[in-house]
Amino acid sequence: MFYRLAGVHHTRYEQARALWPVPADRWQVLVIALLALAAPFYLSDLYLGSYMLPWLIWSAGALALTLLMGMAGQLHFGFAAVMAIGAYSSIHLARLGIPFELTLVGAGLVSAVIGSLFGAAALRVKGLYLVMATLAMQYLVDWVIINVPAISGGAQATLRTPAVSFLFVPLESLTARYYLALAWVALSAVFFLNVKRTSFGRALVAIRDKDFAAAVIGVDPFRYKLMAFFTSSFMGGVTGAILAFCYYRAVTPEQFSFNVSIQLVAMVLVGGLGSVVGGFLGAGFVLLIPIMLTNFVAGLAASGWLAVSSNLLSHLPLMIYGALIIGFLLFEPLGLAKIYDNIRKYFLVWPFRHARS
Amino acid sequence: MKWFRKHLFASALMAGMAAAGAAHAEDGTIKFGLLQDFTAVYTFVSGEYNQGQRDYLTLVNQEGGIDGQKFEAIVRDTGNQPQRGIEAYNRAREEGAILFDFLSTPVSRALVDSVLKDKVVMITPVHGRGDASDGETFPYIFPMMATYWSQATVLAKYLEDHGGLEGKKIALVHIDSPFGREPIPVLEDLAKDKKFEFKAFAYPSPGNEQSATWSEVRRFRPDNVLIWGAGGGQPVSVREAIRNGIPPENVLSVVWLAETDAKNVGADTMKGVKRFEAVATGKDNPILKRIQEKVIDAGLGAGEAANVGTSYYNIGVATMAVAVEAARQALQSEGAPLTGEKLKAGFEKIKDFNAEGLMPAVTITAKDHQGGGAGRVSQWNGEAWEPVSDWGAAYQDIVQKEIAHGAASFKEGK
Repeated sequence: MFYRLAGVHHTRYEQARALWPVPADRWQVLVIALLALAAPFYLSDLYLGSYMLPWLIWSAGALALTLLMGMAGQLHFGFAAVMAIGAYSSIHLARLGIPFELTLVGAGLVSAVIGSLFGAAALRVKGLYLVMATLAMQYLVDWVIINVPAISGGAQATLRTPAVSFLFVPLESLTARYYLALAWVALSAVFFLNVKRTSFGRALVAIRDKDFAAAVIGVDPFRYKLMAFFTSSFMGGVTGAILAFCYYRAVTPEQFSFNVSIQLVAMVLVGGLGSVVGGFLGAGFVLLIPIMLTNFVAGLAASGWLAVSSNLLSHLPLMIYGALIIGFLLFEPLGLAKIYDNIRKYFLVWPFRHARS
Repeated sequence: MKWFRKHLFASALMAGMAAAGAAHAEDGTIKFGLLQDFTAVYTFVSGEYNQGQRDYLTLVNQEGGIDGQKFEAIVRDTGNQPQRGIEAYNRAREEGAILFDFLSTPVSRALVDSVLKDKVVMITPVHGRGDASDGETFPYIFPMMATYWSQATVLAKYLEDHGGLEGKKIALVHIDSPFGREPIPVLEDLAKDKKFEFKAFAYPSPGNEQSATWSEVRRFRPDNVLIWGAGGGQPVSVREAIRNGIPPENVLSVVWLAETDAKNVGADTMKGVKRFEAVATGKDNPILKRIQEKVIDAGLGAGEAANVGTSYYNIGVATMAVAVEAARQALQSEGAPLTGEKLKAGFEKIKDFNAEGLMPAVTITAKDHQGGGAGRVSQWNGEAWEPVSDWGAAYQDIVQKEIAHGAASFKEGK
């Protein structure tokens, strides 16, 4: 009833390959896109700047990582380092007077080159061993940033982003920064959805499922693994630059520490591997739920509903958060994206019970 | 349908949480945002520190406030994550907070520009960037106590007064982070001036494992060692120093060495170790006595009574004492209701304020937001910290040089 399938025919290849063949999906995407575009008009600065903006940017980061982890099956535990390379290169490039549009591309390229350098390890190792190799990348990049003042910005190790404009719009107001982030995450999402339909995407999936089986059917693992690292690191680098210019506006090494890498992995896993919806939901969950829980628990305590010591009070949100992660993953091991998918499938045939996949 | 209802319930719960988060208080109070890290990296200090801050504000309120104005602390956990700090800052600002204390390097670094733009006060007592002492470049940021640079000079001055510096070998053993590196330029300048040999040794963060670094330190044969770390790394540093044959008396620490660390090292083993202190420790002070009487004994304390009088608790008390004094000055000269701008003016009117002897007298001016950079050295005697020098600042010319240098590059946008 909600998802009317009448009139959806698979008679032409273009129709069969459409991103959203069912009209109801298209409507949903359209409504969400309109809501996102209009956000600066109905959201206060607090919610736009502290919730929507970081959520969008981290969603782009999660999408970049899920391209590598979800689609190509290459674990990466140093993705914050990739974003750090993007952030630092973008600031240094912008300071050299290069236009910001090119700076973004440059930041992506630097990240992509360094990221694929470490990704070369993936040609030899798999699984947990690859985790170790990417962890090494995290620590090496951290070390280099901290120990090379020319990169980190001297004794205070804080680099402020210079004033720039994107397509003649100065990136000063919150609204301008929000729209750039929105544009980037929309581009990332559309790119990701399209990669899934290309031969490149299918090759990545083949490698994820079994790399030597992929080699047998003619997919060159060497080439495609490197390409996966390159693409994903490029997206991560640009996301890092967007994060620096649109959100933090002052970059320090701690903003890209190991914890952030783990958070990104958590976003991808909790959201659901290899899914766009999962990238958004996972980023929202990992980024925003702790903030909401902290405020919720503090609100409870302030109104006298919760009389516990201040130490327990500050750890209570963490306990609830942990329980939520375990709860969601027990409830649906494939992540939040699968929960969305279940709901969608339920309505696909509603009011009847049986969904076909 | 059953599982769908479960989903619906879960998402409704989430939405409810978001909505219930905003708790508003009545107006007419002066609000301070104490948005600190209670769960990640700074846990070693923030619990006691924040307790001291809140207890002092409670004391002021119990005594009738300032000109009838009461104080309210907005306390939130930021988990040392910049994005959570930014959210907490924006929310507290909407609730009307005019002073912020983040006690976290990444969070305060990320918010320096916002604070300057929004014209609210950020205090960075005994931590934070040293060049923020330049009040003309950082009009709304107040280190208001000795910065790391001044702490290093006070320690050096102590060494000069007790045995001299010339020809000596001084080692700095620091955590490999911007915070750990901060004193290096000041100490290098001093080494040139005072003709001692200076060498810095870094250990990797978080500092649980330092043995490799310390065997190098031993080869350097230092006369004195300055340890520059915080939290879990500090007891390890002290233990390693002693294990490598450096007498505890020759070990001097940055401000972050407290009773808990002595307990972890062993109260007797650590006997003799010295540290910089910006605020007196113990309950032997009129303010602490009043807190004990009117807040703790009245059952209004913000935490465990056993913490009252510890090093970090007292630093917390002193920070709020200075902030409340600034509010008093601002109310006197500018009048209620207070804004960030008025509070800034109040800070810059503080003159010879020593919180009834709890801390060295600070005088904050529009140019100098550090307030003089005074402190003293105290020594662990097996049971408590005992002062071994008088309050005072040292070599502020060298510190000023660093401040001017840092502030100039901030102005250039670096």
